[in-house]
Amino acid sequence: CSEYQKALKAEGDDAVKKKFEMGESLYNEGKYDKANRLFAQIVPNYRGKPQAQKLMYLYSNSFYEMKDYYVAAYQFERFASSYPKSEKLEEASFLSAKSYYMLSPVYSKDQKETKEAIEKLQTFINLFPESGYLKEASDLVQELDFKLEKKAYSIAKQYNHISDYPASIKSFENFIFEFPGSSLREDALFYKLDSSFKLAVNSVESKKEERLLEAKKTCTTFINTYTNSEHIEEVNNMALEIDNELKNYSNKS
Amino acid sequence: LLFIIFSLSLQAQDISYDDGKKYTLGGISVSGNTSFSDQTIVTYSGLRKGKEITIPGEDISTAIKKLWNSKLFSDIELYISKIEGNTAYLEIRLSDLPQLNDLKINGVKKSKVEGIINDNKLKKGVKVTENLITTTKNFLETKYKKQGFLNSKVYINTIDVKDSVQTARVNMVVNIDKGEKVKIKNIVFNGNEVLKSKKLRKAMKSTKKINRLRILKRSKFIDSAYQADLGHIIDAYKENGYRDARILSDSVIVNNDKTISLQIDVIEGEQYKFGDITFIGNTVYTNDQLTRMLRIRKGDTYNGVLLEKRIADPSKPDALDITNLYQNNGYLFSTINPVEVSAKDNVIDMEVRIVEGKPAYFNNVSVSGNDKTNDHVIYREIRTRPGQLYSKANVVRTIRELGQLGFFDAQELTPDIKNPNPNEGTVDIDYVVKETGSSQIELQGGYGGGGFIGTLGLSFNNFSIKDIFKKEAYKPIPMGDGQKLALRLQASRFFQTYSFSFSEPWLGGKRPVQFSTSLSHTKQFLFNPITRDADKSRRFNITGLSIGLAKRLSVPDDYFTLSQAIGYQHYDLKNYNTGLFTFGDGSSNNLSYTVGLSRNNTSVDPIYPTAGSNFGITAKVSVPYSLFSDVDYTALKLEREGLSEVLSDANNSDAVRTAASTRISEIDQERYKWLEFYKVNFKGDWYTQVFSNSKLVLKPSIEFGFLGAYNNDRGVIPFERFYLGGDGLGNFALDGREVIALRGYPNQSLSDQDGGTIYNKFSLELRYPITLAASAKIFALTFIEGGASYNSFRDYNPFNINRSAGVGVRIFMPAFGLLGIDFGHGFDPLPGQTVKNGWETHFIIGQQF
Repeated sequence: CSEYQKALKAEGDDAVKKKFEMGESLYNEGKYDKANRLFAQIVPNYRGKPQAQKLMYLYSNSFYEMKDYYVAAYQFERFASSYPKSEKLEEASFLSAKSYYMLSPVYSKDQKETKEAIEKLQTFINLFPESGYLKEASDLVQELDFKLEKKAYSIAKQYNHISDYPASIKSFENFIFEFPGSSLREDALFYKLDSSFKLAVNSVESKKEERLLEAKKTCTTFINTYTNSEHIEEVNNMALEIDNELKNYSNKS
Repeated sequence: LLFIIFSLSLQAQDISYDDGKKYTLGGISVSGNTSFSDQTIVTYSGLRKGKEITIPGEDISTAIKKLWNSKLFSDIELYISKIEGNTAYLEIRLSDLPQLNDLKINGVKKSKVEGIINDNKLKKGVKVTENLITTTKNFLETKYKKQGFLNSKVYINTIDVKDSVQTARVNMVVNIDKGEKVKIKNIVFNGNEVLKSKKLRKAMKSTKKINRLRILKRSKFIDSAYQADLGHIIDAYKENGYRDARILSDSVIVNNDKTISLQIDVIEGEQYKFGDITFIGNTVYTNDQLTRMLRIRKGDTYNGVLLEKRIADPSKPDALDITNLYQNNGYLFSTINPVEVSAKDNVIDMEVRIVEGKPAYFNNVSVSGNDKTNDHVIYREIRTRPGQLYSKANVVRTIRELGQLGFFDAQELTPDIKNPNPNEGTVDIDYVVKETGSSQIELQGGYGGGGFIGTLGLSFNNFSIKDIFKKEAYKPIPMGDGQKLALRLQASRFFQTYSFSFSEPWLGGKRPVQFSTSLSHTKQFLFNPITRDADKSRRFNITGLSIGLAKRLSVPDDYFTLSQAIGYQHYDLKNYNTGLFTFGDGSSNNLSYTVGLSRNNTSVDPIYPTAGSNFGITAKVSVPYSLFSDVDYTALKLEREGLSEVLSDANNSDAVRTAASTRISEIDQERYKWLEFYKVNFKGDWYTQVFSNSKLVLKPSIEFGFLGAYNNDRGVIPFERFYLGGDGLGNFALDGREVIALRGYPNQSLSDQDGGTIYNKFSLELRYPITLAASAKIFALTFIEGGASYNSFRDYNPFNINRSAGVGVRIFMPAFGLLGIDFGHGFDPLPGQTVKNGWETHFIIGQQF
């Protein structure tokens, strides 16, 4: 039986103190899961006592280090609400928010956690505007915001890919409206143009002119906004073809 | 000394709060029969030493309430024990509620006691309150009344336990007197002239009189069901135009012979007819169109129930009604109200008031809850796309098709309509999905085919091959791209099979073109049935590879699928002489191209289709090697025929015969080095309901297959042949054989040992569902069928078939797949016999007829 196992099994008042000490030293050595198991046993004993603050901080952080972010977020949040005067308050609040950030999945899956994390990080930024963690927090928010942008963008682009051009146009419109400052705006506008161009060119005769005019409008917007775009050559070609096609209609009428 | 008694009795109410005086609490003492510590009780009460309280006042009553709410005490009383100046001392007097010690239940079977204890939470140690006693009594009485014991009575007694233990405890005795089961002898109607009593009795769904022939519903009397049935009687009148019908009185008459009779007096009123039905507010559809949809004409008997249904039928989301007409064409914000405008001379004029609203277009379409499946797998299946006109039918279809993906719990899929904006004419929709486990692990062992067979199978139905090298995607396996990946290992003493398959439903993500590939390797050792051992030095290996593409066509309609595949098999024999091959050492290669066109529009339930048909025609061809090769197959054929004669002539010496047999092996090796063949299969099933709207389904089907050779001198290959008869379950398909079911005959008994090159089969099946619940679908069937296999086109005669008939049953459970048993009677003799084959029993596993 190792000393750790003995400590785990020990009972009584002495054991509580010993568990704390041993847990702390294990924690300092970086053996978080072992420390965590010891802490978990003694948390009820310290409830309401002065050392509880330190214990709860170490306990919460051991979850964080073990990458158990669900529990870490909850424990840090509890710490922050139980000890509003603690010097660790700021750190705990930040780590709680960051735990939510860690839970955020890749952009192509449900973004419930991402939205939650943005909310928590934003609350942190509002509460501690002078914090040393401010830069990191706002970087994280930006990263998460980008995830949401990427998600909406990818869905709209998929409609383009599976040739559902009206859906793609509508989705890109919504995207541009919802994320006006997005770094993906240029690409979004390009693919919106691509969709409306393809829709117009392959259109049934009765709707063709209207769609060509619509595409031309998007084309002009793109050329005016992104003169130096990498897509500019393609866009110019589209513009030419649209004008060509439109000539048919001006001639007829 | 001031002495006021507070309790929950009305006394406390007599004293006005306004008279309250402020005191500081000096201390609280606890008395009474309790096992809890004083400290605990004081904490529970919320009172604290040093606290300032008003007496009489809210603090005291809150304290008493808190203690009551703990549900641990009875007789809670609060006294002022002492007042010194501004300091008051309180005393809490209470006693613990008794705990249940022993429970005795009389009057029911022992096996039911456990259920009663669980239903009422009568565990040992539970606090016995008046409430518990009353609810238990009521629960049991209603329970037995529901079972038809109309006169059931339940008595509950509690007896204090007198012993040394401190806590108060009681024994409980529950006496149950179920009484006799009461049946309904007769149901008598008075006052009904138009509708016969028989018809009214039929309208009562759960309350029936005694009839020994009826087995599904018993003639017990349940009050709540009876009340509902009275409503059904009125509904029956309403459906026949008697809008004013009502029940005047109803009485229950207790008979002498443990039965009751029901007497129901009705007033029918007069019959009403539909008058003019006018539509108001319709601009999108004309009056004619709406009238046609309504299918109710002036002069029809008034039927309020039917009218409601034709306007909106809440029981069927895809019903043919006016609401759906609008809802499926963008008019999300439409409302439709039928209003009676006049009821003169028993003729009711109706006005259908329609508010159409703006057509709604989808704005944001989103999916939530997909924490495993990637967006693109789901969005490509969604039929409601941003910018499209709102259509309820498309929402319903999306839900159905998302359910069919198998990645989500089909029951929990919900379309969440959000932000409906009648001014802009837009609406958002969020599909809420819940992921389910879509992977299976199969690990099994069993005896079969002469020894122990072990199988390990892994199949992942929502795999993501692109994440296979990403470490963080392993939770526990990379998932979410909708791909299927299966691995299977099977081994016994004399064979081993390894197989791998993968498929991607949208190759390239642009169109629904399914790509699939599979790889397999089988090792078979020669099995010695006498020593029951495998001879590892004599073996037969098959390695196979196939790649296929299947594309859903849009022309002629979108039920057609075109599939193409290239397959390659390598057969490698080493000293493996069996009846199967004439050469024991050598190899054979099968490179083939398969093209198939199929059309499947069966509906609705894939396990029990009730309509539609399923056709498929496939052609499997190899390269016509003999066109390019310079081998003279005619010469080889003649030589082989000569050698066969030598071999069968008993006068020849052993040496000569051995030489001949060796040469035949060589010739066959040359003929089958690259298999040269073409094969055509046709299959068709139809499903029709025998009577409209009945569940009885007739399924005729027809099958045909032909295997041919390009070069007749080279001959038809011994691989890829048809084996007819039996349950149709494939054993080890060593040689690409096709096993075709024909019930009423033993497995594969209707073909030659080497298999047939042509077969046809006709069958007629009549199916009736016993239950089609989602947890288990069961149906019974009866069939007649016939089929035959032939060795060459010269023998082919589609009317010379082996006939059979029989009955069977199929059970489908999601966890087990399809299971079934058939009893078939073969009317024709097996090849080489003279008497008819008679009865055969077939077990069917996992196969879908």
